[in-house]
Amino acid sequence: MLLGPIGGCPMPSRQASIDPARLAVFESLATSIAEEMGATLRHAALSPNIKERADYSCAVFDAEGQLLAQAAHIPVHLGAMPASVSAVAGLAPWAPGDIAILNDPFLGGTHLPDVTMVSPVFRTSGRRRRLVGFVASRAHQADIGGMAPGSMPVAQELVQEGFIIPPVRLYRAGALVPETLTLFLRNVRTPEERQGDVDAQVAAQRVGERRLAALADRFGAGGSGRTGFQAAATALLDSGERAALAGMATIPAGTYRFEDFLDDDGTSDEPVPIRLRLTTSARGWELDFTGSAGQRPASINAVAAVTRSASYYVLRCLLPLGAPTNAGLFRPLRFILPERSVVNAAPPVAVAAGNVETSQRIVDVVWGAIMQALPGRIPAASAGTMNNLAAGGTDPRTGSAWAYYETSGGGLGGGPDGPGLSAVQSHMTNTLNTPAEALELAYPMRVLENSVRRRSGGRGRHRGGDGLVRRTEFLAASTVTLITDRRRLGPWGAAGGEAGKPGRNRLERATGTRRTLPGKTTIRVGAGDVIRVETPGGGGWGVAGSG
Amino acid sequence: MARRQTRTRAPAGRRLLGVDVGGTFTDFLYWDGVALQLHKRLSTPDDPGRAILEGLAEQGWRPGEVVHGSTVSTNRLLTRSGARCALITTRGFRDTLLIGRQARPELYALHPVRPDPLIPDARRFEVDERVAADGSVLRALDEAEVSAALDRVERSGATALAICLLFSFVNPTHEQRIASLARERGLAVSVSHEVLPEHREYERMSTTVANAYVAPAMTRYLSGLEAGLRATDATTRLRVMRSNGGSMGAAEAGRDAVRTVLSGPAGGVVGARAAAEASGIGQVISFDMGGTSTDVSLCPGRLLERSDLQVGGLPIRTPAVDVHTMGAGGGSIATLDAGGALRVGPESAGADPGPAAYGRGNAPTLTDAHVVLGRLRPDRFLGGTMRLDVDAAERAVATLAGTFQGSLRRTAQAIIEVGNANMARALRVISVERGFDPADFTLVAFGGAGPLHACDLAVELGIPTVLIPATPGVLSAAGMLRAPVVKDAEQGMVLRVEPDAPGRDATLESTFKRLEEEARAGMRQDGYARSRIERSADLRYAGQSHELTVPLRSTSRAAIRGALAKSHTARFGYAYPDRPLEVVVARVKAIAPGASYAGSIATALQGDIAGEQRATVVWERPRRTQVLDRAGLKGPIAGPAILTQLDSTILVPPGWRARPHDSGNLIIRQEA
Repeated sequence: MLLGPIGGCPMPSRQASIDPARLAVFESLATSIAEEMGATLRHAALSPNIKERADYSCAVFDAEGQLLAQAAHIPVHLGAMPASVSAVAGLAPWAPGDIAILNDPFLGGTHLPDVTMVSPVFRTSGRRRRLVGFVASRAHQADIGGMAPGSMPVAQELVQEGFIIPPVRLYRAGALVPETLTLFLRNVRTPEERQGDVDAQVAAQRVGERRLAALADRFGAGGSGRTGFQAAATALLDSGERAALAGMATIPAGTYRFEDFLDDDGTSDEPVPIRLRLTTSARGWELDFTGSAGQRPASINAVAAVTRSASYYVLRCLLPLGAPTNAGLFRPLRFILPERSVVNAAPPVAVAAGNVETSQRIVDVVWGAIMQALPGRIPAASAGTMNNLAAGGTDPRTGSAWAYYETSGGGLGGGPDGPGLSAVQSHMTNTLNTPAEALELAYPMRVLENSVRRRSGGRGRHRGGDGLVRRTEFLAASTVTLITDRRRLGPWGAAGGEAGKPGRNRLERATGTRRTLPGKTTIRVGAGDVIRVETPGGGGWGVAGSG
Repeated sequence: MARRQTRTRAPAGRRLLGVDVGGTFTDFLYWDGVALQLHKRLSTPDDPGRAILEGLAEQGWRPGEVVHGSTVSTNRLLTRSGARCALITTRGFRDTLLIGRQARPELYALHPVRPDPLIPDARRFEVDERVAADGSVLRALDEAEVSAALDRVERSGATALAICLLFSFVNPTHEQRIASLARERGLAVSVSHEVLPEHREYERMSTTVANAYVAPAMTRYLSGLEAGLRATDATTRLRVMRSNGGSMGAAEAGRDAVRTVLSGPAGGVVGARAAAEASGIGQVISFDMGGTSTDVSLCPGRLLERSDLQVGGLPIRTPAVDVHTMGAGGGSIATLDAGGALRVGPESAGADPGPAAYGRGNAPTLTDAHVVLGRLRPDRFLGGTMRLDVDAAERAVATLAGTFQGSLRRTAQAIIEVGNANMARALRVISVERGFDPADFTLVAFGGAGPLHACDLAVELGIPTVLIPATPGVLSAAGMLRAPVVKDAEQGMVLRVEPDAPGRDATLESTFKRLEEEARAGMRQDGYARSRIERSADLRYAGQSHELTVPLRSTSRAAIRGALAKSHTARFGYAYPDRPLEVVVARVKAIAPGASYAGSIATALQGDIAGEQRATVVWERPRRTQVLDRAGLKGPIAGPAILTQLDSTILVPPGWRARPHDSGNLIIRQEA
């Protein structure tokens, strides 16, 4: 929580339209559906990305497509889930047992590996059938085809990044639409694994459908009375809005500006500006990103859902721990997103790095604007990059193809409460690293060093956290792709603190030559070559030596 | 506190004591060869063993064998009061202890924090050596360098040393050499290939360091307690409850202290299972609700195990009963949030100040709500030894009554409804995550507050039957009495089994043989000549990064493939018969039956019967309700009813019927 107690003392605006216990029970049950779907998905999924890294989200909606509850483990899904139901609206009318599937970032998705499913839920009483809501799941599937294993290449166009699924039916009235599945599986590298993950998502959908129908039964789907399902849903959304406004009320009304840059888009050296004009008032926030760079023929473009996710993430950090996630929470936010820009991309550009890199910079910009409103109260910038490294080739031990993808943490910004953490994932991601032993067992690679990059955090009264150094030796010829940022300008300091050290990518050839690599690049390496990734330190907070 | 005697049909046998040391109370359950006796007294946190020895003296008990649930290692980790430790690791990896898996504990936090590593920067040292994934030595150990590193360890003031080198679980020679040089210098040493011979260096390092951190204190504590016990009876054997539901000798428990971090909760689960089995019930959810937290475990006819524990925010990999702890208890505080919804927890009034009804606090808690509704009887709490303050409970609950049209009763009901909804949600997710539907289980409720909430939760979860053990307040001690003696040995490896390969895997077979010999030898050392062996292995399909622990009857490759296919299908609904698989860990368990005493606690609980009364108690609406001492219950009783006993209060809501079972359990079912 940011400032002062938000809960605790009564205030007049907090009256719910239904009994506060009934509201809490409804919220708990709705959240429980989303969590149960998530547990089912994780339990049944095949790929480590879903199983171990929990890169998925599940959500419950009312009949109008309003998000009632979401179990999200990945902040980047926050902004995309609410749009899931409207994305499939064109497929109506619905039948019980239908499931829609999609991954198109320009039609309700985020980036191609995130596959979303949506099902309608009906309540039947006698011969009458009534739509009560929807359930949706979104999971990062490990490969979705395209130029490179893992579907995160340095690309210019979306079609290079993988197989695109516009909203279509995967199930019709409970029966599989085999054409949809066959077409999908033929276009990915690991069809058996995809089949397993698809089955897991379908299982989650079915659990969610049953449980939402039961919730509607329990609360009565009449919808009009004070106790009906829709009345409870409305009360829940209103309570989300009140919670958000209470969090926002801690920030003085006004207009605040901030800008920050991505180093480049990987095709030229030109920095990519992101600009925000944030207007806050008692009624909410307006986030105007006018002035941000136009979209590029590169993968750093973020679709609108990613920009929303990054902004929602910041709002969530201002609310009490455990605050519910529903559409009401996001009502007081209004976005102005310039068309065909890096914060609101349109076809045909690529978007994969928009999800992982640009999203981090959007977070920095939103925090930067809030810092203008609350000088001295907001931590300095964190590493601001996921330091993506993808590699692949042929494993000489088995003769088969291998592909590996890793993100690395960095330093967190120092803040009024103390120094920033070192060597940890920040903001929009929280995925685990691959143990050196697991990596060496599975791939022709060897980790030589995994250490804290000392003194890389910005100086200040509270230092920024340090980045990390990861040196990886390749034991066979391989192709390596790096998508990294904050290689030129370090994460900014706050309240007089200094910036953190920018990151650095180095190639140490087996021959002894050393050179610095660009932030975003694809190179060939040979046996004995070493890639050294040094990740950025966090910015410092406060003037060094001032207390 | 009062002592109760129970009758059993048992023949005379060995004198046994199960003793569970908790934060507030130390619980004793004593089998003198003829009957079971129960005792409860205040704990002595400065030296937990004192309460045990004093309790024994008070009762005049002289057990031949003591099985002990200890929180010493857990508390040392939670309060950061362990040994001054140093670490020696492979060059390039001394920061692994700090970096961990690079994730932050809380996703949405303005200023994320995480616990500091147990060993600071200045006491983490490296040696320039390297073993490859296949066990070959890439860079040999330089003894002069090791010697210099040990000099630095000593200069740092460390008294305990953790050694964790890369791939030591494949080839431990470097670790062994460093360990023997360190022991020569008198350091207390924990070595990673002994503590956790499995891949994933951070988890192995963290576990090894935790062991080094707590082992010296645990060793000191247990040898003190053992000496105290033997002062009375020189033949008394001391055993310690392990996290996995078995028990181990005191010397081993000191050395492998990290294996006891879930000692108490494991006893509760074993006790819940044993109680349910005595009534012929196999599938149970154990639900142990206390003042500040609630431990839940699913037992689908057996104990489920897990090894990915967290204690004080640090990962510890050690075999443990799969217990999930929820931050909800009788002391959970109710508040109104900014959105206008009623919240119960996660803040808790804890043991101090406790619920308002206990006389010191003023925040409304779940316990206070029960007092307001008349469900907790002020004159019968803790056997009448502690009087509840009804006025204070009402004042506390009244602070929230504004949003409920001023109705105190409705407010109290609302607090309980929300508390139950939270717990039901957690229970449901726990069940589904493990692939089960809670409705297929019996809810075994114990702990001070478990029997207050059991029937309501059962309704929420569609569970038809609730079981309350005879002694819900000392069930962990009962579990300790029954726990088998378990010794396990494991070996990490990466062994590939191709889809069509025939015959037996000789490497795996010889590994099992060696592990069995190791485990049996350990058992013999502890005085158990005969033990049963269970083999299992952690298996996965090539390319997966998660394993399943699968029982193995044979090392034929076809059997290994079949075993994985079966488990994988049961767990995930499908398998890959055509893919190569990998054996990642071979595991062996030597098991000797635990302390045996015939029968269970009999039905005839004697003691201070407070008598029967009638009172007005609020359920959905106020009802005249029978309130009686559980010991006085001779036959079935229809709700609404409240049964009180020394260590718990049991609610039988309207529409439910409670029936005492021969085993001493109370079975509560919803009436059709």
